[in-house]
Amino acid sequence: MKNLWSYVSKSILLGIAVAAVLLLALPQLQNKQGLTQPFSLGLSEQMSFAAAVKRAAPSVVNIYTRTYQKSTINSKATLRPQSLGSGVIMNKKGYLLTNYHVIANADQIIVALQDGRFFTAELIGFDQYTDLAVLSIDAKNLPSIPQSKHEQTNIGDVVLAIGNPYNLGQTITQGIISARGRIGMSTTGHQNFLQTDAAINEGNSGGALVNSLGELVGINTASFQVSENVETMGISFAIPYPLAVKIMNSLIANGRVIRGYLGIEGTSINTVMAKLLGLKANQGIVVQNTAPDSPAEKAGLVTGDVVIKFNETEIDNVIWLMDVVAEQRPGSKINLTVIREGKQLDISVTLGELQALQPQ
Amino acid sequence: MMKVHVIKVRSHCKTLTALALTAAMGLTSLPATAAFPFAVAGQPLPSLAPILEQVTPAVVNISVSGTKVSQQQIPEEFRYFFGPDGLGSKQQAQPFQGLGSGVIIDAKRGYVLTNNHVIADADKIQVMLKDGHEYEAKLIGADKSSDIALLQITAKNLTEIKFADSDKLRVGDFTIAIGNPFGLGQTVTSGIVSALGRTGLQLENLENFIQTDAAINSGNSGGALVNLRGELIGINTAILGPNGGNVGIGFAIPANMANNLVQQIIEHGEVRRGVLGVAGQELTADLAKAFDIDVQYGAFINQVSPNSAAEEAGLVAGDIIVSVNHNKIRSFSELRARIGTLGPNKEITLGIVRDGKEIPVTATLKPADNQLADASNMHPSLKGAILASTDKDQGVMISDVKPRSMAADAGLKQGDIIIGVNKDKVKNLAQLKALLSEENATLALNIQRGEQHLFRVLR
Repeated sequence: MKNLWSYVSKSILLGIAVAAVLLLALPQLQNKQGLTQPFSLGLSEQMSFAAAVKRAAPSVVNIYTRTYQKSTINSKATLRPQSLGSGVIMNKKGYLLTNYHVIANADQIIVALQDGRFFTAELIGFDQYTDLAVLSIDAKNLPSIPQSKHEQTNIGDVVLAIGNPYNLGQTITQGIISARGRIGMSTTGHQNFLQTDAAINEGNSGGALVNSLGELVGINTASFQVSENVETMGISFAIPYPLAVKIMNSLIANGRVIRGYLGIEGTSINTVMAKLLGLKANQGIVVQNTAPDSPAEKAGLVTGDVVIKFNETEIDNVIWLMDVVAEQRPGSKINLTVIREGKQLDISVTLGELQALQPQ
Repeated sequence: MMKVHVIKVRSHCKTLTALALTAAMGLTSLPATAAFPFAVAGQPLPSLAPILEQVTPAVVNISVSGTKVSQQQIPEEFRYFFGPDGLGSKQQAQPFQGLGSGVIIDAKRGYVLTNNHVIADADKIQVMLKDGHEYEAKLIGADKSSDIALLQITAKNLTEIKFADSDKLRVGDFTIAIGNPFGLGQTVTSGIVSALGRTGLQLENLENFIQTDAAINSGNSGGALVNLRGELIGINTAILGPNGGNVGIGFAIPANMANNLVQQIIEHGEVRRGVLGVAGQELTADLAKAFDIDVQYGAFINQVSPNSAAEEAGLVAGDIIVSVNHNKIRSFSELRARIGTLGPNKEITLGIVRDGKEIPVTATLKPADNQLADASNMHPSLKGAILASTDKDQGVMISDVKPRSMAADAGLKQGDIIIGVNKDKVKNLAQLKALLSEENATLALNIQRGEQHLFRVLR
């Protein structure tokens, strides 16, 4: 016991002595956490996003579109430049994601890679609800963007926007995720997309939003302005990566995005309404309107019905229900549990298909 | 197609009338226990404050005042009625004020670096330090085509910024912009390097900008862009914004380019250009295909001038210059900007791609033999004349005279050669400049026009 005690104390004393000598000899070992050296605080002196840029930037392309235009009524129509945007190479097969509004009405789509190569792209499909389009180019040795299916995006994450604003040439801007996006396929509006304070301008549309590892987290879009005439510096939107991939796969497989269609407008139940209707709060939704000839109307849903379950799963808000419906195959039968005049009943609905928006 | 303005960011003096300082009130209500969160969930918080404390005293506010002379626009036909000294030559002097920023690059000698467009046409340049001290500054020299100007103040205990090697920058590196936007007072913004070697903005002759998303606005011009070590990587110069404000696209002159120019201004009082003697164009994918070249960047050489530095170095048309002094050249404009700011007699190493192989070539830049100078910087009465040195020091040639300018009114014509001032002979631009800087009330220029010798008197 005594032996052990002396052994321990000796080692401690020796340790202290060695540490003291080291500190005297190498004073820079001290104060590593001190505020005078800001970048020892988890930031290395070489801190830079250069590595992420190197991984991701080559797979972000410039997109130019041309349309046939006549300069005079009688002249032959010629291809003229029309719009400008960016795109992201998603895989080696040559599939690219961009914004629908970048390639809308284009007669020719030209994709310019960062290595100087040019290709004419084929339009595989588009989805106006999410403003996404899939292009395909026939090229070898394509740099596809790093992607991680497991990485979750959180508010506060550092992100880089890569694109070609005002056709200046490739530009990287930096910011954070200001608000997180939904990844459901329903068409409930862009206000739920990823929001970032990285600068996104005209020409950035369709480009990549990547994290600090260079992995794709979203497709930037400059089309969603809060207001037309107000400069919205610091508020930009991107379509979340998981949603973009879902849309892309659907477009490649079917040429369009197939969404289930129910045909109701509804609202979530707030505390006051719950009391009036004698329900638990935040449970179910109230049907406000049914579209004429819609699956909901045909199945006998009426205004005022409270829908509390979808195929035995409780519904807590409208957007959740819309997303679930959108994911169903048109023609499939679903079961809604409804409370009407205090009585609970089950209604079976055969879903239809959500029609695409009419091209503008 | 798109409405985009590229804006130089000198702000014209605006008075901020009502700025309520509510911050002070807010401070009093802070709980005494509130401490800065040094760590969140065990992760230390990064802050730029420690480095900024060392750097910000080196960034100054610059305010300028002067008068811009604007000529009354009287058509040539009507001028006949009023004669050369009549209404037609009346000038309107309009006072102006401007604001900008500057960077102290030499504390001992008081050198302040800024943009030429901040101090252009100014009669009085006032420099205000961060601590509030104000000094009148002397203009040492300026270069319009690269938008750089060097000032000097006489002051003690200045803080200087060290130059970083801006050729080592990478896209994605952090940047901090320090300046005086809208005359608000010193403001620090942060961002990253968005792109390098940006050219084609048509702002200056020689463009090789660093692009950044750090917010740069009116009044930031001439201010510092620094790295995380607090070293100068660029001089903030311009922004691109559809509505005049910052949208995350700002441009800065790289520190290395600025440093080269400053050295020349200190040495010669002006920027002297080295000339390589090539003409060319951007290397496009089509051109690369046609010549079966495996590079996608660089400056394609169309033509090599006889007796030029390029010819002596063995360059031939069809070569592609891909690097200068081991720094990648992305475009012909970037080559122009690099060469144009290195100075004459400099030995440089060019990376050339010829027949698919990259070879190093050494060239020595030649001085520009036709140095052009804007005479308005030399004497107010010479405003509107562009001067050029002649071969073999035979005087100073007037290569251009703006109609209805002071120089035109003084009777100077294009092609005139100035061979003397008062009793002194003039051989070249430097001599003329020196003679004109002496404060003479009246100047008599001895001019050779063809076979004639004439005197023209300037007041």
